[in-house]
Amino acid sequence: MGIPSAPIVTKAFKDLAILNAAKRGMPHERICFTQHPVWGKTPDELHAYIEGQDPVSNKPFMKEVVDALTVPLSDDEKKSGMVTVSVGPPTFTDTAENLQDFYLNNGYTDFLPVILPTEEKVDAMLKGTTHHPDEVVGKMAAGAYPPWSYTVRQVAASAVMAGCRPEYFPILLAIASTGIASLFSSTNSFAFSMIVNGPIRDKLEFNYGIGSLGPFAQANATIGRAWTLMSKNLGNGGIPGDTYLGSVGNNLNYNNVVIAENEEASPWDPFHVQRGFKKEDNVVSLFRGLGVVPGQVARGSSANENVQFDYQLSDLFSTFTGFFGALVIADPLVAVRLKEQGYETKEKLIDWLYKNTTQTVKDYKSRNYAYLFDYPRALRGDEPWASWYKMPDDAVIPHFPHASDFNIVVTGGQTNAYPQAANMSYGVSASIDKWM
Amino acid sequence: MNRRKLLSLLGMSPVVMAAESALAAQSEKKPVAPVTTHPALARLATGPAKITTVNPKGTPPAIQLIPMAPRLDSLDGKTVYLVDTGFHGSDMLLQQIQEWFKANMPGVTTVFKRKAGPYAQDDPALWKEIKEKGNAVIMAVGH
Repeated sequence: MGIPSAPIVTKAFKDLAILNAAKRGMPHERICFTQHPVWGKTPDELHAYIEGQDPVSNKPFMKEVVDALTVPLSDDEKKSGMVTVSVGPPTFTDTAENLQDFYLNNGYTDFLPVILPTEEKVDAMLKGTTHHPDEVVGKMAAGAYPPWSYTVRQVAASAVMAGCRPEYFPILLAIASTGIASLFSSTNSFAFSMIVNGPIRDKLEFNYGIGSLGPFAQANATIGRAWTLMSKNLGNGGIPGDTYLGSVGNNLNYNNVVIAENEEASPWDPFHVQRGFKKEDNVVSLFRGLGVVPGQVARGSSANENVQFDYQLSDLFSTFTGFFGALVIADPLVAVRLKEQGYETKEKLIDWLYKNTTQTVKDYKSRNYAYLFDYPRALRGDEPWASWYKMPDDAVIPHFPHASDFNIVVTGGQTNAYPQAANMSYGVSASIDKWM
Repeated sequence: MNRRKLLSLLGMSPVVMAAESALAAQSEKKPVAPVTTHPALARLATGPAKITTVNPKGTPPAIQLIPMAPRLDSLDGKTVYLVDTGFHGSDMLLQQIQEWFKANMPGVTTVFKRKAGPYAQDDPALWKEIKEKGNAVIMAVGH
């Protein structure tokens, strides 16, 4: 803007604030720090914060604020020009044991042992695609940071580390091409998911039968893991305090929620066909959100002839935040039952769920995410939030802003009619065939 | 971690330093003279074989340094915008700062604004207003 500013950040985000300012070109930005947290504090407590010390500089807080705006700039603060950032040499040479420790200690891993990406193994992985090793695949950032870029060869290193086979490589390139990291800097401890569709499910022996979301197939396990390793290595994600802030964290980040759709047992169109692809196309679709819950906790989940999965799912979704989407993960038995109930297509069920999963305006406004994300949109005039914020408290509104916030995938081994539900939003679908 | 250490990441990442120290430690090891030409015994004598692995990191962008805006001589008689980014508690913290200015620097005019749009998005209309009507900004990020 060209006028002086004094950003104030709570001390919990000190490293993030300093490093992100530096990455954006202001390594000496005058950031003032308060105690943490400010959320939930009384006016008197906040008054004490600002009358007290900056917990980082140990100087009077308000003096820091005023000085940030008035003390003349130093030479460093006036600097322009370019700074390059090094990530080290292209290769490392040592014993396998030392390198295993080296990779672990330098944040290249998920803290589980990895397959060391020797030049031979990386070369073998590169044979899984026709694309040139030096081709730039995309850019990735684990949040509001300047994104990193990466080549086919750099993707291959993480693929090897995760234990992937060369024939899996096109899926990883497709994921990498989206630029979506599976580790995100938010304090919310986000979880990520992918849906795999097409003949490649059988070719790579994905498990979409019994225990499809569990650790029962190499493709499901290692491709999910590789996404997290790619997020750390290619997108610089997952550095606690810098590019990762999830307060509690999320166990799903180890290998994400990998869903190969059971297209053969599903009574509906596969997910990728809904997104405009042909059935014979191989496609990976990515989701982001908060996590997965079992359908057994929903009201109306009794296992009798009157079981109503539509009401069960709506009940589950009514506990979710509408900021993220609603993903139905239906065992084929559930899907077939829903079709028998009259939901001939996924779209028909989505329409019912959208119209019947509702809330009052009062409940809506009391939600954390509404205040944080929707209210600023309402201020800007974005719909439907602007209209919702003008309605009386007892007005009934949809729980999710759009019908397109709902998605359905069918997977599982039909041992019982148990659905699961994820508070996750669809992001993007990427062609796997393009990377073969 | 102090700022100096954090900023060292810009020019010399910990990866580089760690790699260099690992390689340095490795080069300091005195080679053991082979006692025999038999490969198995040679391995026993020289220790485990060394392998070469690929650095899995992507490529970070270069950083364009931005000179900071000139500071004011004084805040007296100036208008300072207090901008709430929308995180919980930012509004109440800024209101306390507004009270502090009233009590301690009454010559300063403060204007409280909540930025429109989600926290990571720009608010060009507000930036324009601040540039036209303000002299400085205090922006608070709560939690």
